[in-house]
Amino acid sequence: MTVLTRKAGKVAADPRPSSGRRHAGERAWAFAFASPYLLHLVALAAWPLLASLFFSMTDYDLVSPPKFVGFGNFTRLFGDEVFWRTLGNTAYFAVLFVPTQTVLALGLAIALNQRLRGMALFRAAYFVPVVSSWVVVAYVADAVFNPQTGLANQVLGFLGLPSENWLQDPALVIPTLAAVAVWKGVGYMMVLFLAGLQAIPEERYEAAKIDGASAWNRFRYITLPGISGTTFLVLVLTSIETLQSFEQVFVMTDGGPHGASELTVLHLYRQGFQFFQMGYASAIAWVLFVLVLALTLVQFRLQRRWVHYA
Amino acid sequence: MRLRMLATAAAVLTVAATAACGGSADESGAVTLKLGFYAAAGDPADTTMRELVKEFTAANPSIKVQLEVAPYVKFFEKLRTEIAGGQAPQVWLSDGVLVQEFAARGALADLTDRVKTVNAADYSGIELNRDAKGRIYGFPQGAQTPVLFYNKKLFAEAKVDAPTADWTYDDLAAAAKKLTKDTNNDGKPDTYGFRAYSPGFTESWWPIIKAFGGDIVTDGNRKVVVDSPQSKAALDWMLGAMGKDGFAPDYATTEGLGKGVVHTLFATGRVAMSYGIYARTLPAASAGVDFGVAPMPKGPAGRGNVAIVNSWVVSKSASPAQADAAWKWITFFSGEGPQRKWAELGEAIPINKKVAATALPADRRQAFLDSLDAATDLGVNAVWSEYTEALSKRISEALSGASPVDTALATGQKEAQEVIDRFYAGQTQ
Repeated sequence: MTVLTRKAGKVAADPRPSSGRRHAGERAWAFAFASPYLLHLVALAAWPLLASLFFSMTDYDLVSPPKFVGFGNFTRLFGDEVFWRTLGNTAYFAVLFVPTQTVLALGLAIALNQRLRGMALFRAAYFVPVVSSWVVVAYVADAVFNPQTGLANQVLGFLGLPSENWLQDPALVIPTLAAVAVWKGVGYMMVLFLAGLQAIPEERYEAAKIDGASAWNRFRYITLPGISGTTFLVLVLTSIETLQSFEQVFVMTDGGPHGASELTVLHLYRQGFQFFQMGYASAIAWVLFVLVLALTLVQFRLQRRWVHYA
Repeated sequence: MRLRMLATAAAVLTVAATAACGGSADESGAVTLKLGFYAAAGDPADTTMRELVKEFTAANPSIKVQLEVAPYVKFFEKLRTEIAGGQAPQVWLSDGVLVQEFAARGALADLTDRVKTVNAADYSGIELNRDAKGRIYGFPQGAQTPVLFYNKKLFAEAKVDAPTADWTYDDLAAAAKKLTKDTNNDGKPDTYGFRAYSPGFTESWWPIIKAFGGDIVTDGNRKVVVDSPQSKAALDWMLGAMGKDGFAPDYATTEGLGKGVVHTLFATGRVAMSYGIYARTLPAASAGVDFGVAPMPKGPAGRGNVAIVNSWVVSKSASPAQADAAWKWITFFSGEGPQRKWAELGEAIPINKKVAATALPADRRQAFLDSLDAATDLGVNAVWSEYTEALSKRISEALSGASPVDTALATGQKEAQEVIDRFYAGQTQ
């Protein structure tokens, strides 16, 4: 009681504002500091999202006012062969791109996670394509995959194999695009894996070595579980990136040959910005959003089985 | 203090709103006109257009022109969003094939009555802009039509006579075979006689199908009729040229050259003959190719001449004063002086007939003008971009050998018709 009284007296004598008022003031400051971001969020993310949800239920050609059509665009979309074909192309691209980039990025990170002279230079070299624009990458890719003058066909010729039409053959175009996308993006994922690898305590490897664990076992039982969180992050980011791919095909193939590399976002872009069908394009965007969300939720659900946050 | 801030803010908003709606002529009668056109940065067309705008504003001091320029794809992408936001230029240069797309959606002012005030006989291409209902939404700025380009040096080396107006597709094939050469004996020609396939179908399958008696769209460009024995014969001829006859680079070789390079096959001497619109004279001349042009050869149904008339269009949301100023600009640009200056660029056939008759190089003039006179439009309608995209995919499948010609024509016709029907039947989008 005495203590309480003394405390109460002390509080009463404290010239600073009460805890409630202080928190209110802090909240106001917090809002003030966050307001630029909140404004940005509302104006450039929340509002366009809501607007596109509204447009997805309208017939909107960008010229006349939107006309409400309910779920008409979604009904059309489910019967749109081109949409399903582009979704198939996107899925095929993802199946090739996501595992290849993840495995390669991990391999590179392990190879470059050495304390050797000049290692920073190699790391930087793998990162250069990440910061290059797709237009530049398209030129580099042309030097490799041009059917007449490209390096890839020169190598095949040297090996006595026939030339290939890498970007002109419907059967090869998506694998070729996936290879180029891996080349461009692997550096970024490699950096994430490097950070993950460097967070694994060295003592674990030393203890395993003393216990006689082989290099493979050290990788299998220490490295892989140790970077499972990073691997999960890489998989989620890469999957989302793949489903949103646009710039690469827009610059390199424009969806050709005859639609074989037309991905869903390119289809969406054409509907909205070339064919005056912003309502339909918005419906495609929302279906794609739901697919990305579903895939991400599945990944989050599955991570419980294999990701270790130690 | 607060009141003063509010008053200032209100004043700023009022000024901004007034500026945004400044479409009508002010008290002094001055009007501001936003004029849009597409050109790459630093392109000579950009420079010439700016000079012409200067001339125009000097002659019309009450009209102030704000320019909006961007490369082709960016220009039309931005234009669509500007229209949605009510910020579009009041007058802009439209690709001829897009005029009806914008008009059908209510973005353009009807120019039919204004066009009646000019002597139509003085200009080319006005009728190509008339829609199925007889209305005109664009006034010609420059025309493009394909003719047969041939490389004089390669013809002389192969001892082949220059093409004439009497040539048929058999004559073309016979000459092209003689012109195809494998100089380094690697089993693949280094020079081909003719370019049959091009991703730009104006210079490829479209006129060839028409020359063979087929057609692409009829009935006011609303009915797709490409699936016919004549179209099949045309595509078979092209496949033969790229296959068994071997005088034209095949689909993969052409596409493998890249978007920009395809159109320079002739300019780089890789092909001895090619169909090309007037704009192709520029790269050929810059590359120093000694070339001539001739009418496209005759097929069973004629030459299949087609044309695109790039046109000035006026926004429907332009105020009456702006629409008048826009029309003033259009008539100024169509006049002899500006047309002559524009013709110096060498990128389009002048639409002013008097200028076209004198400003075009004498050895090329007749072939282009005859082709333009005989041309039909390129199947333009409200969904031109979308239906030709659907059709092109299928036809390129056939020309690459990925699917049989019959199947490609039938599927292409069905898919293109679906696009047209969806718009004109007024269904969901």
